[in-house]
Amino acid sequence: MARTIVPIGPQHPLLKEPIAFQIVVEGEQVTDSTMRMGYVHRGIERLCQERTYIQNLYLLERVCGICSHVHAVTYCRGVESLLGLEVPLRATYLRALLCELERIHSHLLWLGMLARNIGLDTIFMYAWRDREIVLDIMEALSGGRVSHAINTIGGVRQDITPMQREVIWGQLDKLDQQVSRLLRVVEHERSLQARTRGVGHLSLEQVRRYCVVGPIARASGLDVDLRRDEPRPPYDRLNFDVVTHTAGDVWARTLVRMQETLVSVQLCREILRTMPDGPIAVSARRRVPPGEAISRSEAPRGELFYYIRSDGSDRPARVKIRTPTLPSLLSLQIQLKAITIADISVILSGVDLCIACADR
Amino acid sequence: MRAALVQGVKALAYLLPDLLRALVQRPETGQFPFAPPQIPEGYRGRVQAHPERCRGCGLCVRDCPAFALELHRENRDTFRLVYYPARCAFCGQCEISCPFGVLYQTHAFVRGTEDLDRLTVRLVDRSASTTPEES
Amino acid sequence: MSTWFRILIFPGFAFLFIAALAFEWIDRRMIARFQGRIGPPWYQPLADLIKLLAKEDIVPEGTNKFAAAALPILSLTAVLTASLYVPVGGIKGASFEGDLIIVLFLLSLPALAYFLAGWVSSSIYSLLGGHRSLLQYFSYEVPFLMAVACPAILSDSWSITRIVSFQAQTAWHALMQPLAFVLALVGLIGKLKRDPLDIPKAKSEVVAGPLTDYSGRKLALWHLTMTMQTVLGIFLLVNLFFGESRFFNPMPALPIFGLKAAAILVALSTASALYARLRIDQLMDLGWRILAPLALLQMLVTLWIAN
Repeated sequence: MARTIVPIGPQHPLLKEPIAFQIVVEGEQVTDSTMRMGYVHRGIERLCQERTYIQNLYLLERVCGICSHVHAVTYCRGVESLLGLEVPLRATYLRALLCELERIHSHLLWLGMLARNIGLDTIFMYAWRDREIVLDIMEALSGGRVSHAINTIGGVRQDITPMQREVIWGQLDKLDQQVSRLLRVVEHERSLQARTRGVGHLSLEQVRRYCVVGPIARASGLDVDLRRDEPRPPYDRLNFDVVTHTAGDVWARTLVRMQETLVSVQLCREILRTMPDGPIAVSARRRVPPGEAISRSEAPRGELFYYIRSDGSDRPARVKIRTPTLPSLLSLQIQLKAITIADISVILSGVDLCIACADR
Repeated sequence: MRAALVQGVKALAYLLPDLLRALVQRPETGQFPFAPPQIPEGYRGRVQAHPERCRGCGLCVRDCPAFALELHRENRDTFRLVYYPARCAFCGQCEISCPFGVLYQTHAFVRGTEDLDRLTVRLVDRSASTTPEES
Repeated sequence: MSTWFRILIFPGFAFLFIAALAFEWIDRRMIARFQGRIGPPWYQPLADLIKLLAKEDIVPEGTNKFAAAALPILSLTAVLTASLYVPVGGIKGASFEGDLIIVLFLLSLPALAYFLAGWVSSSIYSLLGGHRSLLQYFSYEVPFLMAVACPAILSDSWSITRIVSFQAQTAWHALMQPLAFVLALVGLIGKLKRDPLDIPKAKSEVVAGPLTDYSGRKLALWHLTMTMQTVLGIFLLVNLFFGESRFFNPMPALPIFGLKAAAILVALSTASALYARLRIDQLMDLGWRILAPLALLQMLVTLWIAN
């Protein structure tokens, strides 16, 4: 068959957010690809300059729907370092609890999307059914399933009651059971392995060259996790494993994410058990003294980077966000070569695209 | 022999036990429009007000990230607090910013409507001639 | 029963239409229950069909208008004609020696029309889907035909009615030639383009395959063809492999037939829920390296038994 160009996007059943790929195929073989981003660009960084620090809390939550809380936490941490505030310990524990819950929910969502894109609808339904448990916990804690609005500059807005704690403890047990089952399915189910093994391979050297972060990098053997590498309360008091694999294909990434989810459930339990008492917020001034601050966090997809510069007023002068999906998108260039069309959906799912994050 | 059979089933149809279990369990989905949704206690829905407590300070207006609140003020005793539910992001910052406990969030959803007047709500109306009222 | 009644009402067009809607509902409801959902209500397939009939029918520029209109009519006609020769619970439209071959030929016409629908369309997705549907056809059709020929060889007849009555004297072909039944079931999954063999219309790869640009009445006709093909394929398999039996004779034939058909449908739904979609090269590998030699083996065994 002659050389043709298959457009994937901006609208395609495969993508949950618009992004355009032009894939050059010959028959069923892919030879090259180009990418065009920017369909979800909302100019959030510019909008931040016209809103106060408090208003930006809620704006920055909406950069991404899946990792909304960690954006807010990273921003808060940056502003708090500019203000010179020391966040109470209980607040950091509550923030970390929601971060870990968000990691679980993001990985379960991703597993469902991967399964759906390879035709295994059953795992999609099961993963999203288990994700409902997490969303219900988050809704009980913060009042919203996806946009939590629980952060404030100086701490968190809402505390966790003892009754909620008991309920969440029981839900975590159920979640542990379900996620373990999903992990075993990923390890043993043959048709899933047949589609994902050996597909989208990234070597360690390629990961380093493209600065890929997150589960993708860990699946290729790069041992990097900001929770352990830049220990901050409460992570400096919690022990957890960082999951890595060496295979570097989509199946390895699936295993890494599923095992990370189990680690996160364990972390949630430990956070609940060891949470100290105390205040949940300190009061913060509205005008931030001039300066620059950098804050980084481990979002579900990798390292999230915030740069905030203030000029002394109650609005930031510049907020710059580098999301983890951006280098993953660049690494797609190597992955989308010498594969078949059927593998395109596997690779695009394996990279866990969050285009809203990348486009801001 | 039996172990080999179990192995064979596991290799060929690994999800079969899950499928059978899902058949006998209650389904996860609900009949939403025909059955009420389950909303937890602290759900952040539409904003309402206790208008008698409002003093028109405007702290809520300053902190709203979606510019969904507006204060129209003529003098110290005459002002109106207008709320636009269509712009609201249901974050609850107005509830926190208000020092007098005027605003609170309910469980109500904001539904789509063709009636534009429903999208402008006067939460507090202090005119010189009328008594405080709530829309 | 007059011929017109048999063609138009039962077991002809009207019965086939109602059976198609019912089977689609059972299929969707079963898959939903397997996945932990409630599933659509009983009137959903009918509602979908009526909705499709009411939608605007667009033929994009660059698509051959005549072919786009003729192909769904052609495939529906083929399926309806094939229904005349497939008996339902013993009652048939017509039969003669060799009607099995006619049915198999007619049931493979929709596959050709499906490929052509992709070929004449101007969308790249349709072209890719048509390309894949032809590759898939070559992978499943040979094992399917060989597997379906085995009961005919054993019953020494190419008439479906005779095959059914042969089973009444001996035993079900599914018990005598189980491998043929399994291969025919896998071939049926490929023929009906169901998950895990819905490669030509893989939603995440080629949007909707050859039918991407179809809408409105034409899409309704295609949809009806697919569901009626499902019904006919299942009925054919029931007749060939689970025909009449000595042990069930006093009981009414039609409900028993319906139960067998429902059982095969449940097996197909379970297969849909269990597996991920195969890649086209994996399917060709499976078809030619595993299924075809097994079918050949079964045929040799059948020939040996028949002598």
